[in-house]
Amino acid sequence: MTTQPTMDRDRLAAFVDGELSPEEAAAVVMHLADHPADQAFVDDLFAANAALAAAFAAPLSEPVPPALQAVLDGKGASAQIIPLRPRLRPAFMAGALAIAASLAAAVVLFRPAEPSNLALGPVAAGSPLAQVLDTLPSGTPVTEADGRELMILATLPTDTGHCREVEAIDRTAAQIELALACQGAGTGWKVEVVLKEPLPTADGQDGFVTAEGTAAQGLSPFLDQRGAGLALSPAAEADMIAKGWTP
Amino acid sequence: MTDRFRQDLVALVPKLRRFAYSLTGNRQDGDDLVQSAIEKALRNAAQFQDGTRMDSWLYRIIQTLWIDDRRRNLRRGTNMDPDDAHLSDEGKAASLPEDRMMLAQTRAAMADLPEPQRAVLALIAIEGLSYREAAETLDIPVGTVMSRLSRAREALLPKLGLSQGPRQ
Repeated sequence: MTTQPTMDRDRLAAFVDGELSPEEAAAVVMHLADHPADQAFVDDLFAANAALAAAFAAPLSEPVPPALQAVLDGKGASAQIIPLRPRLRPAFMAGALAIAASLAAAVVLFRPAEPSNLALGPVAAGSPLAQVLDTLPSGTPVTEADGRELMILATLPTDTGHCREVEAIDRTAAQIELALACQGAGTGWKVEVVLKEPLPTADGQDGFVTAEGTAAQGLSPFLDQRGAGLALSPAAEADMIAKGWTP
Repeated sequence: MTDRFRQDLVALVPKLRRFAYSLTGNRQDGDDLVQSAIEKALRNAAQFQDGTRMDSWLYRIIQTLWIDDRRRNLRRGTNMDPDDAHLSDEGKAASLPEDRMMLAQTRAAMADLPEPQRAVLALIAIEGLSYREAAETLDIPVGTVMSRLSRAREALLPKLGLSQGPRQ
């Protein structure tokens, strides 16, 4: 009998999660019999798993909601929104139609003459933006020298190469820019569209901003025109970065 | 697309809704996520390989869509269900029946977890995937699954009043 735990927590967790072979599990059971502290931890893990399962169990005992059933029946409303191509990146938020309708007012298309790193047109090889497009994995924020926060949102394969969604937050100017940069076989990056919207007022807590993501929705038609497919997985994207975006 | 594919998909909807609920912490956001995922699955049915697990395939689609959406929504906090939101109000929360309180606390604790940890915990503790299946679903190494799981539980257990385990 000891009050000190002698078994690794990961191993106890693996026991609870059913990851151990029968022999290994039996050894843990024997161990727990005379290690009450470890037994208490195992009990806690079982209790937490049970609490989690119960906390989110509601959908299991409910009928499928009509909106989901309609999609399953092939009558989904969003199937009719964009007739160009199969919608590979469906508008995510409920009410996307209403948002799209208000987009013209909320978003301003940048002209090439506008001073911005995300200017329309070819991206010079070796420029800061080209480096970001070449090497930055999606979801990794970087802060530019001028204080702007840059992030690649996603990488999407197209008919001829890849497109990357770039977001730039300029807190000083209180605006968000969202750009789509694409490259084809043997050609460099080209910024094809830049959308701009005001940065929603920060609520002052933890740096969160309550953006509605309307500009991101605005990129969908451009992606559809290019025949953009499913966003690359992190591994597939890392592979493309490693290969320098050659097929 | 075969009828079988569609039937299997229909049968999975309750579990998919549970998974999306546990990720988003919000019933409506969860259902929007499932709807997008189903549309995506139906359009890309040809990419599904017969003989592989359709649930893992769909969990992956849901998780990818969710991460995409989260990126687009700029570090926005999780929208908790209004029913759970008043947990910050000690007075009101105290009046909840104890088990309902526990469930709401669990959802709030889940929503507090960093997203990568939340996804791992949901797949393993709620959906019952093995570490390997969760790793394949999320496209990460098994070791990463285990470290995220461990950190998630470290943060979660005390919030559920379950912190009596051994200290290391």
